[in-house]
Amino acid sequence: MIIEALEIIFLFSTALMIAYLARHYVFTLTVLRRTKNPIGKIAVDTKYAPTVSILIPARDEETVIGRLLQRMTELTYPHDKLQVITIDDASSDRTGQIAEEFSKHHPFIEVLHRDKKTGGKGKASAMNAGLKRATGEIVLCFDADYYPQIDIVEKLVKEFVDPAVGAVQGRPVVLNEAQNVVTRLVTLERIGGYRVDQEARDNLGLIPQFGGTVGGFRRSLLEKLGGFDESMLTEDTDLTFQVYLAGFKVCYVGDAECYEEAVDNWKAYWRQRHRWAQGHMQVCFKHALGVLRSKKLNAKEKIDGLLLLNVYFMPVLTLIAFFAGVSLILYQSSQLVNALWFIVPVSFYSLVGNFAPFFEIGIGAYLDGRTRIQWLIPLLLFAYLYNILICTKAFLDLLAAKILRKSWSDWAKTRHLGNGNSYIGN
Amino acid sequence: MIPNLTAIIIIIMAVPVLILITFLPAFIELKKPKDGGPRMIMAKIPQVDLGITHFIPISNIEDEQKFDTSLIQTMAKIIVILPSLEV
Repeated sequence: MIIEALEIIFLFSTALMIAYLARHYVFTLTVLRRTKNPIGKIAVDTKYAPTVSILIPARDEETVIGRLLQRMTELTYPHDKLQVITIDDASSDRTGQIAEEFSKHHPFIEVLHRDKKTGGKGKASAMNAGLKRATGEIVLCFDADYYPQIDIVEKLVKEFVDPAVGAVQGRPVVLNEAQNVVTRLVTLERIGGYRVDQEARDNLGLIPQFGGTVGGFRRSLLEKLGGFDESMLTEDTDLTFQVYLAGFKVCYVGDAECYEEAVDNWKAYWRQRHRWAQGHMQVCFKHALGVLRSKKLNAKEKIDGLLLLNVYFMPVLTLIAFFAGVSLILYQSSQLVNALWFIVPVSFYSLVGNFAPFFEIGIGAYLDGRTRIQWLIPLLLFAYLYNILICTKAFLDLLAAKILRKSWSDWAKTRHLGNGNSYIGN
Repeated sequence: MIPNLTAIIIIIMAVPVLILITFLPAFIELKKPKDGGPRMIMAKIPQVDLGITHFIPISNIEDEQKFDTSLIQTMAKIIVILPSLEV
């Protein structure tokens, strides 16, 4: 009986790994083919220039907030159509003062101060406070450690000409990548995830994901959806699915690029990924059935949506498959499982790079003209082993939280130090 | 069953070699990074291509054309009498 159960678990896990592997091959080939033979996009209405509100949630970001606000003053989008709202969320450092200084000299920059009583309840809560003040037709979001291209607003908002587009997502690029091995590996993950994965999902009409920053929404849609869900750890993924379930789509704009400061040590990496994993799993529990039942999603969107929702369960499943496989080899097992045993390590290695496998990252780096960084790809094996532990812990924590009915209302924020400033030349 | 000694020796030697081959490029790149990152994303400012400026003889353009001022004086005299030709 136990042997049969282990066999089923093993075969199910292996089948899922192969499905994800095939998905990533399709993504990679799609982007390679489209790069060689680009499809002409619908002519853009260059006169389309809606009013835009930019939300910048910031809590204790004195090292980076000035850099971003300075960039806001340099944006090429007409300033009379811009509203920049800095949400100083109960900061205990000079974040609010720096923002006020910019506000004095630039009328389109506003500062929303939240004290310890009203603020400090998480990014989603801060964003909702900013949303109440926003007046623009389009609402864009930037984290405080980001540093966008000067024409990024034009690039992002032009997609809203299409009334079916409810949200857009640009491409984050790691600024401090040369800092150490962690920032280099994060860079590789970002290249695979955005240059190939997001791009392919957009090209194939699947579900590109809104990442919570370097992107935005139609304000009317965001308000209709009730704003950002404050009970979610990853309110961005939650909104992605809400947008699709409401009958709109998310558009990925690969040429709208923005620098970000990546985590620079394994502890911070653990905290960030643990939050992402837990939040993603939360969203999966919330939306999986809705995606299956939705009449507004077509079959391929449903398949991609479910694979996307389950992506953080895969490292956990890899661990389960490994132990099931070892047990089956040590004890009695059928010939089928013996024959399939070799697939586990193959799938395991193919999934290296966590959510973008090695070949996808390699092609992404190649398309970016980055051949030398590909030499680091084997090191992603260690990042993946680390992610197995992170996701397993996140899964167990989520189960415990479900049982204990715990909710989240804190900023699980990454500390930013302004590293990589030397690369910002203009 | 006695394991094949040759096979064991080959495996013992092959595993470190395999690990070395897999990770050596990564260690080389970490030790002496030659990657040009981070990716440059800023809008390009149009610049004059300095490589072609030597083809443009800006400084001595009058000398090169052997500009003849007497020709202009002759033309000026002709233009002065033009109105008197009007009927």
